[in-house]
Amino acid sequence: MIGTAKPLSLRGIAKTYQSKTGTPVEALAPIDLEIAAGEFVVIVGPSGCGKSTLLNMLAGFGEPTSGEARVGGEKIQGPDIDRGMVFQSYALFPWLSVLGNVEFGLERKGLAKRERRQIAMESLRMVGLEDFAGRAINELSGGMKQRVAIARAFAPQPSIILMDEPFGALDALTRRFLQRELLRIWQQHKKTAVFVTHSVPEAIMLADRIVVMTARPGRIRKITALDLPHPRESTSERFRDCEQELYAVLDEELAKSFALG
Amino acid sequence: MFLSRALPLATAVVVIVIVWQLVIAIFRPHISLLPPPVIAAQEFWTLLASGELFLHTGTSLARVFSAWTITGAIAIPLGLAMGWSRRVERIVDPFVEIFRPISPLAWIPLAILWFGIGEAGKVFVVCVATLFPTLLSTIAGVKRIDPVLVHAGQVLGCTDQASLFCKVIFPAALPSIVVGLRISFGTGWAAIIAAELVAARSGLGYLIANGMEILRADKVLVGMAMIGILGVFFDAVFRFLHRRFSWGEE
Ligand SMILES: Nc1ncnc2c1ncn2[C@@H]1O[C@H](COP(=O)(O)OP(=O)(O)OP(=O)(O)O)[C@@H](O)[C@H]1O
Ligand SMILES: [Mg+2]
Repeated sequence: MIGTAKPLSLRGIAKTYQSKTGTPVEALAPIDLEIAAGEFVVIVGPSGCGKSTLLNMLAGFGEPTSGEARVGGEKIQGPDIDRGMVFQSYALFPWLSVLGNVEFGLERKGLAKRERRQIAMESLRMVGLEDFAGRAINELSGGMKQRVAIARAFAPQPSIILMDEPFGALDALTRRFLQRELLRIWQQHKKTAVFVTHSVPEAIMLADRIVVMTARPGRIRKITALDLPHPRESTSERFRDCEQELYAVLDEELAKSFALG
Repeated sequence: MFLSRALPLATAVVVIVIVWQLVIAIFRPHISLLPPPVIAAQEFWTLLASGELFLHTGTSLARVFSAWTITGAIAIPLGLAMGWSRRVERIVDPFVEIFRPISPLAWIPLAILWFGIGEAGKVFVVCVATLFPTLLSTIAGVKRIDPVLVHAGQVLGCTDQASLFCKVIFPAALPSIVVGLRISFGTGWAAIIAAELVAARSGLGYLIANGMEILRADKVLVGMAMIGILGVFFDAVFRFLHRRFSWGEE
């Protein structure tokens, strides 16, 4: 039952949208990328460079215009419970309790009620919210909501976890806290993770590899492998160097994207 | 909570009675045109005790409930389909556009021609009155669903349309559907009175029309008061339902 981490393989995957006026918008240039099983890859890039587009195609929302992505050798053809997702806006179901949200995917997998309850409670314990199981979603703070969303995404044991700026709407302190929580959970579960962010320190804090994208149409500008051990200290010299380097590249791309308009 | 609603209502009732009494004191209308509040209250009591008021109220309510249920059973699935599928919407929407501006009351003559003055005609008119509010609210409810909720449902295993509908689309649209049902109950309640005024042998509308024919304004007023009382009652019920099904939002 437990989904072991699987490798992700992107082969020439690209997306061109048809805008309302009929002119095609090339959001993502063909991308080639191999992600190993259990690897934590963070994607950074200027706004509008196609990060969400890429992640959505990995989730199975919307077909690529060309190319394909494969999970453990199998072509992605639509959304699947084996690829979990954490959204920036939490996307919790307000008509269900905290527990109901976490049980949602387990129920869809056909688990019996008792087993469902047990796994959901375990997931809630993992994010420190076991005492909030019966709460309504609208009674939670943003940080708590995102913890529920993380528990919900991990509960059905997907082999891939996709995250699109999951901490983008949170304050700096909560963000820092949840980064550590996420790392701890990821280390426990060893999922393949693809994480989109605007924050360079966040990328360095989390990633095995950082993929820097160019301005639209997004292509891979640079891939940085980080072999810093966890937990990483944002004050360490290597952290700082890495930051400098990434900011330099991103500044360049940002300038291009402004020039593009 | 209860008191904060009941108190203003009670005050309004007192004000109405005072104004009514003043009108009588100043204009001295004939009793068959406007009786004083006491007389109307007495008639209310008489009709209540004889069971006549219950009978008329029950008849009107039964007509509204049956029509409202029928249109709910049609409008909710249809609205879900229209809100979800551009194609279904494109096909059905022109019909809605044509029929919606026609007041349900304009259907009363046809209803009488087709169904006589039996139950069917009245239920038909109320159906026309309740169909569109429920339908339009349901459509709006589906269209307003945050696409990210649909995506969340899909990555959590609702990969076929049926489960996505049951587990995500319907509950997400439910608050809006309840609003539609509340509005349509109101329009249905207004329409049944109108239909009964024109063609009926029972119901609150008939009580009012009959009171007019036999020059008994007190009976007319009792019928009107009952409509008001039930309106307030059902509004409270629906307000409760709305709170219950809006998941603490708004
Ligand atoms: N459905 C769509 N139709 C047309 N164009 C779209 C659509 N979705 C996105 N785009 C365009 O594609 C480009 C990439 O969008 P995308 O949301 O993937 O960027 P992003 O990198 O996630 O940006 P951000 O960092 O601001 O979230 C943008 O120029 C956007 O305007
Ligand atoms: Mg984005």
